Amino acid sequence: MITLAEELILLAIEDDGAISYTAGAPGFAPALISAYLVELSTNGRIDADLSTIRVLSSKPTGLPAEDKVLEALAAGPAQSIEAWLQALQASSPALLKMSLGLLVSRGILAAKDSRFMWVLQSRRYPVVEGREQKEAKLRVLGTLLGTDIPTPHDSALVGLARAAQLLEGFLTSAEISRLEERISLVGGIDLFVKAAEAAIRAESTLRATAFMSPMF
Amino acid sequence: MNASIENLPNMTCIRPSGRLDFEAAASFQTQVDQAIAESVKRQAPVVMDCNGLEYVSSAGLRVFLVAARAAKAGSVAFIVCSLTPSVKEVFDVSGFGRIIDVQADFATASAKITGA
Repeated sequence: MITLAEELILLAIEDDGAISYTAGAPGFAPALISAYLVELSTNGRIDADLSTIRVLSSKPTGLPAEDKVLEALAAGPAQSIEAWLQALQASSPALLKMSLGLLVSRGILAAKDSRFMWVLQSRRYPVVEGREQKEAKLRVLGTLLGTDIPTPHDSALVGLARAAQLLEGFLTSAEISRLEERISLVGGIDLFVKAAEAAIRAESTLRATAFMSPMF
Repeated sequence: MNASIENLPNMTCIRPSGRLDFEAAASFQTQVDQAIAESVKRQAPVVMDCNGLEYVSSAGLRVFLVAARAAKAGSVAFIVCSLTPSVKEVFDVSGFGRIIDVQADFATASAKITGA
């Protein structure tokens, strides 16, 4: 069984095994953390409303990254989804590494070390068979091209893929424009996903403001 | 949380009341699934009258999405009405209001069904 966060990660893996969010999609970290929160919520570990995330059970799920997030939530203050997205953002590289490690141990991804310009070491994660990655893409496409109301899982996947700018990896900009209405309608009908979208918007606004501000 | 289900001649009316959170979501989901299955059999629209619903959490929202999906798959209309301000705010923020037919009150929802 592939989790929502794993599907999101698989959508971010490029053909050569590189992770596309490193190419400049600032939304990946909040989207990934939001995916862990959705997973914890679906598994009955947490529930949330507009003001607070509530821990219902701190019993581990067996998923290393989700359990790390659950530990933090259980030990931390009662605060909103937005505040938790902000607080957990610094941990996102470590959480991503845990999820990648799990995907490697399950034979879905391979880990391959390489060097860039003979100096900088980088790790790539080429897909082994590609079935799971293809299924994640088909799930997104099926939701976008159909007319059904999506399942909560598929709605979250579409919303997070859009927020992390991962749709661009397998849809052309013309296709995205054509599907924009459907994407906004069915993508992320969920409080965790909407909080990630808001966090990404706020960060983009902050960046734009910083860019536009006079230096002196 | 409590819920009453009434099979009227021209619609099925579901009336949840109280707090719809994770603890309440599973049993409410079962009730809603059964009500929608029955509505699909008799091709009667479903109206979820939320006048008594004081609170809805993230888990509670999923019940609405799953219900709307099941109703659409069974080709019956699904209308939510009489949202209290706090529940309406959650619907607005989450985007539920854009995918589900939400009406101001039961009279408006009924009128929509009967075409009045």
